[in-house]
Amino acid sequence: MVHDKTIPSRIFDIVNYTLLLIIGLVTILPFLHVIAGSFTTVAELAQKRFVLFPTEWSLDAYRYIFSTNTIFKSLGVSVGVTFFGTMFSMLLTCLMAYGLSRKDLDGRNFIMFMVVFTMLFSGGMIPTFLVVKELGMIDTYAALIVPTAINAFNLIIMRNFFQNLPEGLEESAKIDGAGDWGILFRIVIPLSMPAIATISLFYAVTYWNTYMQAILYLNDGAKWPVQVILRQIVILASGLTADTSSMEDFVRPPEQTVKMAVIVVATLPILCVYPFLQKHFAKGALLGSIKG
Amino acid sequence: MSETAVSTGMNPDVDVKPPKQDSGRMKRIIKNRAIYMMILPGFLYFLIFKYIPMSGLVIAFQDYQAFLGVMNSPWVGFKHFERLFTEPMFFTILSNTLILFMMNLLFYFPVPIILALMLNEVRREVFKRFIQTMVYIPHFMSWVIIVSISFVMLSMDRGIINELLAMMGFEKINFLMSSDWFRPMYVLQVIWREAGWGTIIYLAAMAAIDPGLYEASRIDGASRFRQIWHITLPSIRSVIVVLLILKIGDVLELGFEHVYLLLNSMNREVAEIFDTYVYTAGLRQGQFSFSTAVGFFKSIIGLIMVMLANWLAKKAGEEGIY
Amino acid sequence: MKKTKASTVLAIVTALAVLAGCGGGGGSASGTKQQGSGAQGESDQPVAITIMANLHTPEVPSDKIEKLIEEKTNTKLEIQWVPDGTYDEKVNASFATGTLPQVTLLKNAASLINMRDAIRNGQFWEIGPYLQDYPNLSKLKPEVLKNTAVDGKIYAIYREVPLSRQGIIYRKDWADKLGLGAPTTIDEFYEMLKQFKENDPDGNGQNDTIPLTDRNDLVYGAFKTVSSWFGTPNNWGEKDGQLLPEFMFPEYVETMKFFKKLHQEGLINQDFPVTSKTDQQNLLTTGKAGVYIGAMGDVSSLEPKVLEINPDAELDVQNKIDGGPNGFGVWSVPGYGSVTLFPKTAIKTEEELKQVLSFVDQLMSPELANLIYWGIEGEHHTLEDGQVITTEDTKLWDREVKPYQVLQVGGPLTVEGFLEAKHTRPVKAKAEALIVENNDFLIEDPAAALDSKTYNEKGVQLQELIKDATYRFMLGDIDEDGFQAAVDNWLNSGGQQIIDEFNASNEASK
Repeated sequence: MVHDKTIPSRIFDIVNYTLLLIIGLVTILPFLHVIAGSFTTVAELAQKRFVLFPTEWSLDAYRYIFSTNTIFKSLGVSVGVTFFGTMFSMLLTCLMAYGLSRKDLDGRNFIMFMVVFTMLFSGGMIPTFLVVKELGMIDTYAALIVPTAINAFNLIIMRNFFQNLPEGLEESAKIDGAGDWGILFRIVIPLSMPAIATISLFYAVTYWNTYMQAILYLNDGAKWPVQVILRQIVILASGLTADTSSMEDFVRPPEQTVKMAVIVVATLPILCVYPFLQKHFAKGALLGSIKG
Repeated sequence: MSETAVSTGMNPDVDVKPPKQDSGRMKRIIKNRAIYMMILPGFLYFLIFKYIPMSGLVIAFQDYQAFLGVMNSPWVGFKHFERLFTEPMFFTILSNTLILFMMNLLFYFPVPIILALMLNEVRREVFKRFIQTMVYIPHFMSWVIIVSISFVMLSMDRGIINELLAMMGFEKINFLMSSDWFRPMYVLQVIWREAGWGTIIYLAAMAAIDPGLYEASRIDGASRFRQIWHITLPSIRSVIVVLLILKIGDVLELGFEHVYLLLNSMNREVAEIFDTYVYTAGLRQGQFSFSTAVGFFKSIIGLIMVMLANWLAKKAGEEGIY
Repeated sequence: MKKTKASTVLAIVTALAVLAGCGGGGGSASGTKQQGSGAQGESDQPVAITIMANLHTPEVPSDKIEKLIEEKTNTKLEIQWVPDGTYDEKVNASFATGTLPQVTLLKNAASLINMRDAIRNGQFWEIGPYLQDYPNLSKLKPEVLKNTAVDGKIYAIYREVPLSRQGIIYRKDWADKLGLGAPTTIDEFYEMLKQFKENDPDGNGQNDTIPLTDRNDLVYGAFKTVSSWFGTPNNWGEKDGQLLPEFMFPEYVETMKFFKKLHQEGLINQDFPVTSKTDQQNLLTTGKAGVYIGAMGDVSSLEPKVLEINPDAELDVQNKIDGGPNGFGVWSVPGYGSVTLFPKTAIKTEEELKQVLSFVDQLMSPELANLIYWGIEGEHHTLEDGQVITTEDTKLWDREVKPYQVLQVGGPLTVEGFLEAKHTRPVKAKAEALIVENNDFLIEDPAAALDSKTYNEKGVQLQELIKDATYRFMLGDIDEDGFQAAVDNWLNSGGQQIIDEFNASNEASK
């Protein structure tokens, strides 16, 4: 690739890099505070309130949350649900999105409208609960995956990406004798890796953040994913529930450092997904290579 | 639209009837049977998990009592809608919601696009990935955390920003309990949390641009801004349009948890939106019918907006979403 | 497009029919796993009991105590723990889908009020007539049961809570340094705040102390307790033979004026309407603030934190503040914390109900009551002179004991032989003594057992009007006329109906 070395272009780069660096720092500071807060003492956090670099280091918060296996178990659940859920969702979404991207398909606009309609109108929690119950999914992990298998937003984005693939591809594949399934799996999907990576990430994050479904559909606390534990600690530690019930003697909220530590532990795994997908976002990564 | 309309929920390609006068269309459908098979699982998903529960919306027209069920709860027509429309706060709530939405659209919506364009211009992969990861992290922090950190920064007692203001000789500003500061604070927090995350879709779209286009344009001596304007933006235009339409459909959805955490007695006149109103007026007292009616109203507005936006997009020569 | 519309309608109608099937059947068809239990109850087979309870701890509870309860009551328990923050949603969803368990806890009085219509409709067993048949349940206090009753009938058993925990926690070392004693009147209290503000009690040479730390809660924060000192009624009060809400009494306005003064003079944290409990306590524990009004029992968790940052600090508690003509006064709760209901969807027959009640009755026996509340001797606590010293290992306590405390039925006043705590911290012991002393001058809520349809529907929403106006008055945003306008607005938006209905309900109950 030829690099553009003109002076205006250089200036552009310098300004651009500087701005991005500033933006990056501003967005990351609160998270650094959370990390620093998880490694400091209760007293230091209470006095400084905003810590970026602890002067008194302490691992107490991590010792506290790892002293039982609750967190490990719930992390395991979350990883499992996220992995299988993403697979399942991507399969359904890709199939449907590709189908709906075909311009010669009768009824396409109607189905699309039907999909968009579900983004606007929803029957709410209780009717969905009834469906899940009738399908016998209460207290199973399927209840965390199947009822949210396709996200209409993701479907629409996916379809948009498929639609933007160069027109001629399918035709030439057909001439070569490929069927619709073959075209999808051997040509369209490999050519859409940036989109696949994006939508997989979206699904993975949604599954990772599953909270309400877990509360509603899982009666057995041993099956809880990490978000339930995380929210319970954050809400207790932020003093958000305390006074609604007259239980003050019972409620001894977790320390702030523990809150920070559990955020770190529950967030790091999903944060790690992104860097693995990033190579698919490199400029011109795909189309450039197959055009030739 | 064909006779075998998929909307009955039947498997569309086994349900093929003998061709009528419209045999061209029939042939197309038969030819596309594999495509219908691909759509079928997703279609069933929407039917079972979205459309069946959607019938629960009828409770908006009932005085729903859980123990009576949908069948036996008394019908009350538009009673709950009347309560909503005659609510003295109704127009305040409506205008608060619309203003926040407009601010979101004007100030938040373009940010991920600009940020993605900036990232796309970075040639050092390592730097680019580093910044990308940084800006996307806030999305993973819940509103409870973000709001509590902002309180630490903005409080009148020991808040870092107010301490700074005081040190520099300015008056302290009561950010948290002021009607004037609520909206900027809300939008800034949304930008801060979501902008980086929002770039991902655009970056994926940009990844599909043929690098050859840039090279050709460089040889023509086009400046960086011209390249952005003439190559990058047009390539992501359809994604922008789709996201814009969807965003417009979300006109009355502003994130309950976020607003609720920022809401207090001093800024309620600008901060009360439909979701927070429904929470106090309906859900906290088990008024499911009323809550559903308000939701229904929001959905209708959203539907009108989406249809309008989609129609406009098509007028402008874009694909639209349906 | 005509055909499509027709088929859409068809699809929706089909869907409706399916849903209606579920919804209508919700009441009957969905008994859960415990159906078999009724028949085999008389044999030695453990009886299966399902329970739903709110969880206050960060962790999934260990089943150690659960196993012991099972063993001693010959039951097989299935406890659904639900995080406290989402408890009401889960109860509502389970109720609407007919999947409530046999023993359903409700968090507090507000949740019980939301269930009143369902209770009236016969969704839960009326247990009043059965209570006398059980040795322990029969000891539950009739006056407290009355507060949980619906139309005079008893459907719920309750967990006891102290009637009033409210009082002051303050920095005794600051007061000593400035030569102040414990405040006994509102004037002395104000004087204490003023001196804390002006005379540099922390001795750092800077005028940076915030005397009183408060939070975004008009009830459990400082406001309601101070309003009691002024003699404001508790939620409702009687004037000329009629029940009226507390904010229509002049004492309420006096309290607001007092807070307005505190706010103007910088004697309270400026952000108190948006300060969380955590931040409020933080101000005290880090030595920025010197006075805290709330549950006096909080001192046991506050003191160690204060000492960690400043080993020379000393906290003390105080409850009796004389507000003038009315003497001492402190508002009280209706005597129950959480309540337990018995849904008919889960308990089909009277026989089954008796089994469940017999289980609950055993929970109230001294042995089990102490096990539930204090855990296992030698593991979770030790005994000294017949008093309990709980373990220092809070993690163990949180995991194995604390969650089960919500299952407690009754409490120290109703369970004979309920062990008392031996407080290792003198100030905690004093706080407990003052909580008992509070019982001598309680201000009770005369409407606790009364019912109003409008209140059930709109009470929370209307209360927001008053809450907003109260805060805005205290911050100087509106004046007395403005507050009166808010009260008028309250009256016109349904408040008058609430007044009428409560008075009617009051007449009917006499």
